[in-house]
Amino acid sequence: MSSGTLRGIWDAVWGLLVEDGSLAVGIIAALAVTWLAAVVLADPQRDQVGWLLLAILIVLVVLNVRAAGHSARRAIAKG
Amino acid sequence: MNLGALAVAALPAFIASAVEFVEATTIVLAVGVTRGWRAPLYGTIAATITLAIIIATLGVTIVTVVPEHALKAFVGALLLLFGLRWLRKAILRFAGIVALHDEERVYLKEVAELRARGETRTGFDRVGFIVAYKAVLLEGTEVAFIVIAFGAGGAAALNAAVVGAIAAGLFVIALGAALRTPLTMVPENWMKFGVGAILSAFGVFWFAEGLGAAWPGDALSILVILAIFLGASRLAVRMLRSIVPDGAEVAARSV
Repeated sequence: MSSGTLRGIWDAVWGLLVEDGSLAVGIIAALAVTWLAAVVLADPQRDQVGWLLLAILIVLVVLNVRAAGHSARRAIAKG
Repeated sequence: MNLGALAVAALPAFIASAVEFVEATTIVLAVGVTRGWRAPLYGTIAATITLAIIIATLGVTIVTVVPEHALKAFVGALLLLFGLRWLRKAILRFAGIVALHDEERVYLKEVAELRARGETRTGFDRVGFIVAYKAVLLEGTEVAFIVIAFGAGGAAALNAAVVGAIAAGLFVIALGAALRTPLTMVPENWMKFGVGAILSAFGVFWFAEGLGAAWPGDALSILVILAIFLGASRLAVRMLRSIVPDGAEVAARSV
């Protein structure tokens, strides 16, 4: 199998997880913040880190698609 | 677990995996119809073996070496990377910014590309083999993620997820072989939207559990997380429709 084919397969599998770089980086940052919160917080508060993660991710996805929407609008305006 | 309970437990994995098998079947079908069946069948078998080796080696290593909490966090992180990517694309599709997934269009594009590469009259068709191999390996990897998502709860859940995925594979392959046309009747876009939200919900649940957090109502909270993801996605679609009222259908990778 040629290196081009292997590269293609690797790109396809990588694309499974990282299609949009900013979203992937944002997710990893959200996971890091949640992990830090779980380390810092004491037991009763630690149970809330899941909701914290959910809130960060919702904001992240909404901001990401909003940026994509504005990018599409600019592309339409350019023709 | 009796047969009825197994069928209910296997249903989510069945539905989610069916979407992936439909996509792989479209490509293999396009190769088979255009260039003959021998190479794509070998490509499919080779990809299945590759996938089995990857899952067996990586999966067994991870499960036996990584402690339970770390494993849950790892699985949760992977599911979020995978599920949110799917959810994002589904939101953009339903807002009209990215074209809806259309198996007929994918099939015709693939057939045109394969015809442009020319036919192989003699010898083994490498192009047909590689195209089928890549498609089955890629979609198969997504099925592996789905099985992990639904099976991370324990042995019974994993068995149900595996049964669901295998049943979906057999069902879609049988349907594709019988019809010999792209499976356009499957409501893929809606299923992808739902599956993206489900995988993301499982990802949040497992990651937090991996960090030692307890959820109210345990696994029942997945339904609440799922509802929040679906509600936020719906609002995001409405927001995008106000930004780009007539839709744009800009190529997915350019946004």
